[in-house]
Amino acid sequence: MSVAAGGGESKIDLKQLTIYGVGGGILSIYLASILNGALDTGYFAFLAGLGVIAAILMGSEAVRTVCAYGIGTGVPSIGLMAMGMGLVVALFGLSIATSIGFGIAGPIIGVILAMAFGYLIGLIANKVIKMNIPVMEETLMILGGAGAITLIGLSVVIAGGFDYQLILDTVINTGYIAVIFIAGTLAILHPFNANLGPDETQDRTLVHTISTAALAMFAAGLASLATLGSAAGVLTMLIAAIIWIWSFMWYFKLVKRDASGVPGTGLLPPGGM
Amino acid sequence: MTFDPIVILEIVIGGLFVGVGVHFVPVGGAPAAMAQATGVGTGTVQLAAGSGLTGLLSAGLMMSVTDNMLLIVISGAVGAMIMIDATMIVGNWVYIYGVGVPPVSAKTDYDPITKDPQPPYISAGTVGHGIPTVSFVSGTIGGFLGGAGGSLIYYALMNVNGNPGLSGFFAIGIFVVNAVLASYNIQGTIEGFHDPKFKRVPKAVQACAAASLIVGIIAVLITGGA
Repeated sequence: MSVAAGGGESKIDLKQLTIYGVGGGILSIYLASILNGALDTGYFAFLAGLGVIAAILMGSEAVRTVCAYGIGTGVPSIGLMAMGMGLVVALFGLSIATSIGFGIAGPIIGVILAMAFGYLIGLIANKVIKMNIPVMEETLMILGGAGAITLIGLSVVIAGGFDYQLILDTVINTGYIAVIFIAGTLAILHPFNANLGPDETQDRTLVHTISTAALAMFAAGLASLATLGSAAGVLTMLIAAIIWIWSFMWYFKLVKRDASGVPGTGLLPPGGM
Repeated sequence: MTFDPIVILEIVIGGLFVGVGVHFVPVGGAPAAMAQATGVGTGTVQLAAGSGLTGLLSAGLMMSVTDNMLLIVISGAVGAMIMIDATMIVGNWVYIYGVGVPPVSAKTDYDPITKDPQPPYISAGTVGHGIPTVSFVSGTIGGFLGGAGGSLIYYALMNVNGNPGLSGFFAIGIFVVNAVLASYNIQGTIEGFHDPKFKRVPKAVQACAAASLIVGIIAVLITGGA
């Protein structure tokens, strides 16, 4: 798909969102995992979901930044690549940290490596394929980090902790990884894909991102019904649903603000079907 | 933790197959969805992922009965070919009987396979439509390469960690990275091997080799758990 993308002005800087996304994402993953471990419950799994929303926000803004240059392949490609990189490198980070007996550092190693890998892919895209998009390295680095945090965070929502063996047993061997992969990918790529165009505004895209990220959190909460028990699963789903309703109403307000007009057309006349 | 260079080599070759295979698939993108350009009306990654995942499924099925690498890779390739062919033929039905346009290429004057002249059949204001014979054959080759590459990666990973879920999703991750890099190389749309853009393949080979090498090193270090 060739994209005649145009991004509006940015009121919130990408760097600022990245700091919040990486910081909030990693912090919430640790908080959820440690609180769950210390109190021996799964109730705090939703905290990781909140961090995922922050990470998806930074990923979505990165998609918005890079796609404004017209990458020529459509927005979905870059979202899928973010999750592809995130998946491979995040699991590697968790695995290698466990192998060297330093499992507690798994998420941090995973996210740092994913960002490094994203930077490398951006370098390849610019230097070998010669795309010559000045923000390519930076945005792919952020997208790699966003993908990794999304994957680890949603895994924590399902597994309750970030122990590699636990994630293998409850997320990968059960197949819930497929849900995480697709829900996370869509949450990152869909907002800009849906809002792009000459009238795109940053706040509308980002508010839309909150709603898609809440849906990804909801999907992970649904999966966690089977792994963490119904109480923890319902808690995650309930919080995700509240965030979704709140953000979607906000989003609809912004749509009405940016639209030239929203008239009600009424039902079709009799026989009009 | 094993560090087997053969496995890395298999992953790099698999990644290259995927990267080159993408160049064969007729991707038309949004214009093709409106029958204004030749190819299937969606993006590279969707097509590559669709056929690649089917290839992975058939490779996984074959792997449950044998561990012969050639059989597994061919099984994956055939699965991907069936998937991409089904997509293209149903797409063609829609273009021919639904939209009412003949499948025609705008990048060549004569179809290299059927020798049919192309320009008289191009609707004014479009750059071809549908999936003509040459693009169909090209897409089938692309499905073969993509499926073979994906299943080779899957086979290599299964030998390292022995966990089907982990290997499968790692294969998808590696597949997606290579497919997206290749689609950046063709800038979104291509008609097949007769398209002038096909000459850009060497750049994709370099890019996918570099990316696959890094991912390969990462992938062989991961453990499949207890």
